[in-house]
Amino acid sequence: MSSFADIVLPAVTRLGLGARAVRARATAAFLVGVGFAATTAAILLAVGHDRAPMLGGFVRVDATSRLFLAVINPIFLGVSIYVWNRISAAPSLRESMGRFVTLALCFLTAANIVLVANHLLALWIALEVTTLAAAPLVVRSGVRSSQLASWRYLLFSSVGLGLVLLGFLCLGRGIEAHGHAPTFFLNQLPEAVAGVANTWTKLGLGFVLLGLGTKLGLAPMYSWLPETYDEAPPAVTALLAAVQFNCVLAVLFRVVQVYRPGNARLVNGTLVTMGIVSMIVSTLSLVATRNLKRLVAYASINHAGVIAIGLGVGKAASYGLLLYAVSNAFIKAVLFLTAGQIKAHYRTKDTRKISGLLQHLPYSGVFLMIGTFALLGFPPFGSFFGELLILSALVSSRQVLVFSAFCTLITMSFVATGRTIFPMIWGEPKEEHDWPRQTFLSASPKIAFLVVLVVLGIYIPTVVNDLLHRVADSLGGP
Amino acid sequence: MACGWRSVNPLLISLLGVLLLPLFVATWRTSLFGLAGQGFLMAWIAYRMGPQPTLLGEWVTLADLVFVRGLWAPAALYGILRAQNAPAKSDVIPPNLLSWTAALGIVVVAFSFSQVLVPESGEEETLIAVAGAGVLLGFFVLATQSNPFSQMIGALRIENAITLFELGGKHHHEALGLQLGQIAVVIVTVGLYRWYLRMLGTKPGSPASGSTEDVTL
Repeated sequence: MSSFADIVLPAVTRLGLGARAVRARATAAFLVGVGFAATTAAILLAVGHDRAPMLGGFVRVDATSRLFLAVINPIFLGVSIYVWNRISAAPSLRESMGRFVTLALCFLTAANIVLVANHLLALWIALEVTTLAAAPLVVRSGVRSSQLASWRYLLFSSVGLGLVLLGFLCLGRGIEAHGHAPTFFLNQLPEAVAGVANTWTKLGLGFVLLGLGTKLGLAPMYSWLPETYDEAPPAVTALLAAVQFNCVLAVLFRVVQVYRPGNARLVNGTLVTMGIVSMIVSTLSLVATRNLKRLVAYASINHAGVIAIGLGVGKAASYGLLLYAVSNAFIKAVLFLTAGQIKAHYRTKDTRKISGLLQHLPYSGVFLMIGTFALLGFPPFGSFFGELLILSALVSSRQVLVFSAFCTLITMSFVATGRTIFPMIWGEPKEEHDWPRQTFLSASPKIAFLVVLVVLGIYIPTVVNDLLHRVADSLGGP
Repeated sequence: MACGWRSVNPLLISLLGVLLLPLFVATWRTSLFGLAGQGFLMAWIAYRMGPQPTLLGEWVTLADLVFVRGLWAPAALYGILRAQNAPAKSDVIPPNLLSWTAALGIVVVAFSFSQVLVPESGEEETLIAVAGAGVLLGFFVLATQSNPFSQMIGALRIENAITLFELGGKHHHEALGLQLGQIAVVIVTVGLYRWYLRMLGTKPGSPASGSTEDVTL
């Protein structure tokens, strides 16, 4: 009896564990499959044409949707491949796969709806859903600091999005006060708001910019971002920083496209101020931090500041701003996923305890190196040309003070980032590690992202270039 | 619902009282009763503004205000706090003269600002003033508190004030699907608040207690 139990019980246990592993892998494979299907659809839409409003006017595919769909879906696919590889490397993660996949798919669906929604309230609801799906993903089981970070993320997002809703309602009142029928349909708004510039509109725009600024991590309500990006699992951080950020940016573009013509001074002034203040606080934090993920998080705030300034400068900077924003999405995905790999091996985020990356983890070392160069705006990456075009627009619009502050802050953040990251890459190894080499498959998403970054800097395909020009034109401005 | 208003001024003033009372009587039960009171009073206001709801959207608005904001949201948080045996006292703003003066000052500012926004004095002006006071007092709570429960109360106060503001507009139920979507967002948000309250408790936590040793995705 005993020998029977000795043979059967381990076999049954092994079978059970094997079944669980197969199920977890199948769940992850499903996530990759959905990511692949979404990417294919997004690319087909991006190379296609604009679509007139459909489904009762609530859905519309225009140049802005097409561009951002083609950015967020491939990044989601890359993150799902990363997750698939992580559960192969760390079997203990398999238990939480079902929950992760469910929430990630809710997040992806809502993110795509944000981009194709033709109604301000519909895209607001979808943006809320991305937040509600992402907040539980930030929590790492049993880690109090991640629970608090997740709570702060939800709180700031709820308040930020509450302000956005209040702003939309004020904008509606502004139209009403002008004697027009209020509407929230994006394709009808330009006609409805023509010539409308009253106190309600100004108040509404103020709330919307402050609320969206909170979601983008712009000052003054940015403090949730470093904490959340640091505490969340790297895959979730990449989703927040590269996917959700771009959804919020697309909403900001929608608002600017409609409301800038009648309120240029207010929109531009607010964006430039928020951008400069964000750059100042993030640069000071970059100097002080010794935590790899927080460093990339502060760099994200810095970049959000650059994007806000680019948007505030107006037409001359629009193309550069788009190039910068698209490059930035891929840079953040590469850097956060790489930071995850580094932390998984060294078991620390303290940059002073990590050195000799190129020897210990060659793939991660190279990704961190190239990602940092792209982050700092080196050629030949798209971020370099984007930044250059924004700077040139600042000069041509004679905003000398903003230009000087921009250059000083960019230089300071360049030195601070290099001083912290370069010793990690090229420094002498402090300990001997013999970790198994990463497989090509596990590195493939980051390689693909780097290829996109280089392509954006060297040769932008005509289809993408046309799309960038069309979105840039739609942003308008002086 | 905005057309043919019946007098809602007394209700709006009562709502202002319900907004202020929990700031001075600092227990978590008062805060939750305050939230429930806001939901019911807003439902009453919505009913007075359109006494014979004919559209499905108008019924949905009333159901949202009574059942979701008036009953579900406070009850969901109440259950957790009771299960945790939370101490009765729970400050929503710091209990001192300066905070109380600031709270009353916020109400005065909201009323002055509504005069700028709505040139004709009347019920619309009062509605904007009370909604504005609700938003600003919510921010005041958020700015002065670090414990999750008080922050939840602050965020829910802001959401209620936005809903009140929405009641006064002509566009507040443009499509039933959107209205249901907004209600679903509130329900899920409160559900998540409940989850966080259970996880974090009512005391502010130390973020330094985190670990970098765990294995994550």
